[in-house]
Amino acid sequence: MRSGTANINIDEAVLIEQCRGGDFAAMERLIIRYQNRIYNVILKMCANPDDAEELTQETFVKILEGIEGFNGRSSFYTWAFRIAVNLTINHCKRDRRLVTRSIDAEDNQCGEQAKTQLREFLRDDSVPEPAVAAQNRELCEIVVNSLSKLDDTQRAVIILRDIEDMSYAQIADVLDIELGTVKSRLSRGRSSLREILEAVSQ
Amino acid sequence: MKENFNIDELLNGFIDGELTVRQQTEVQRLIKHDAQVAQRLQQLQRCKMLVGALPRSEAPEGMLERVKASLERRTLFGAETGSFSRREGAKHLLGRRILAVAAMIGLVIVLGAVIYTIVAPESVPEKSFVSGTLERRHVKYAAGKPEPALTEIAGRSISKTPFRGRLELKTGDFIAADAFIRRAIEDNGISEYVGSAIQNNRSVYTLACSSDRLSSLLSDMENIWPRFNSATLFVEQNQLGDEIAVAGVSPLRIVEVIGQDSYEKRISAARKFAVLNEVNALLPGRQVFAAINGKKPLSITIPRPVLTSSEKGAGKSPSQPETGEKLQLIIVVAGGS
Repeated sequence: MRSGTANINIDEAVLIEQCRGGDFAAMERLIIRYQNRIYNVILKMCANPDDAEELTQETFVKILEGIEGFNGRSSFYTWAFRIAVNLTINHCKRDRRLVTRSIDAEDNQCGEQAKTQLREFLRDDSVPEPAVAAQNRELCEIVVNSLSKLDDTQRAVIILRDIEDMSYAQIADVLDIELGTVKSRLSRGRSSLREILEAVSQ
Repeated sequence: MKENFNIDELLNGFIDGELTVRQQTEVQRLIKHDAQVAQRLQQLQRCKMLVGALPRSEAPEGMLERVKASLERRTLFGAETGSFSRREGAKHLLGRRILAVAAMIGLVIVLGAVIYTIVAPESVPEKSFVSGTLERRHVKYAAGKPEPALTEIAGRSISKTPFRGRLELKTGDFIAADAFIRRAIEDNGISEYVGSAIQNNRSVYTLACSSDRLSSLLSDMENIWPRFNSATLFVEQNQLGDEIAVAGVSPLRIVEVIGQDSYEKRISAARKFAVLNEVNALLPGRQVFAAINGKKPLSITIPRPVLTSSEKGAGKSPSQPETGEKLQLIIVVAGGS
């Protein structure tokens, strides 16, 4: 279900209006509605729970502080994610070296079982079962770390598409880029991710 | 390479359900007939599935409280901090603007000073010229010379006043130069030639005549000018007897100065000549210039023109009455270097 992915519905419009008026209850409802999704996207982008928590908090503070300036030209959903993604990309740019170093260290600690599972999953003639793969914690960490090795903008496009399930148009709106750029970044990102995963699985 | 990217984009669009019906049909046809495309599609699909299969993380407990606390903190302290920052910012901006304005004024002053020194040679020092000096003096009126009464000053036009001044000439050939000047005064028929006093190699001629006659006299004196070691003109610059001095003057320049009809114009002309003298002194070809002016022993001397009888009658007849206001020039000829 893509709740909130369409244009503002009546309930959300009322909620936003109440937030503008300083209604703390409305603010709470807005935070509860979006906190998990925003946190999840931020965590997948920055691959650090502490940073993700901090960035999620900062995102909501910025949303609520800037809600008076929200003009409704884009949906509230894409507007809120734009704030979250921009904050996270900026954070990742600042901490790029640190993150890369920690990921490199984690790659070496991958268990053989996870690598084998990944190899099998990527093998074309095997029967993929994503649900099974997701249950392997180590395999998930490999994927998250591999995502972190991508270029920030490519990573953002893949996460918004494959995790948040946004349409290309919504991704373009969130990242403030052309639709063609979304397509090319997604294509390059998936191709690079495939190469990284194959390299890790060896 | 580009083709691969295009196919990848198409395949990704197919996986994500972002293609038009026609594009979907095209991709399906490709998959059916091209094993490589089919394999690539599978690779991309697995990649997408792997990312999509990542477990959804939930926001940590207490996120709501932390956001609220952060908002409350900002509400409590943010406004004050904000206004304080704005005030500081405004102060900082004002300071920077003042500094910028001060810097610009300073720059303009410096540039102005530079331009002034270049285009306004009048600012050249008013004293200690090498060959020309311009100095202020206050001359006390001699006992025999009445100081102009205030009523007289008030009654006259300040801006249009006849010339009063003194020309001091020094020569190593006093007798010849003195005789030449005396004769020139007589030849020019200066009617109110007051008289001369010779004393210890020093003659003083007090002349009161029209501008034309004085110009004629100075023109005649051009021939004897190379024999003078120095020629300084003192020009009265106000009714009180203050005067300025221009050294190294030539007859032509004296004529120009006395030809001016007001104190201001005369002082301006005198200043101009003083500066020209200074420039002349600094010029590399000064020696040549001096030679041209006849200040060297081997200078070219122009013989005194011989006037025809008619010209004499027209220009220098002693009997011809003088018109216009009388100028006063005291010529002091002194022997020595």
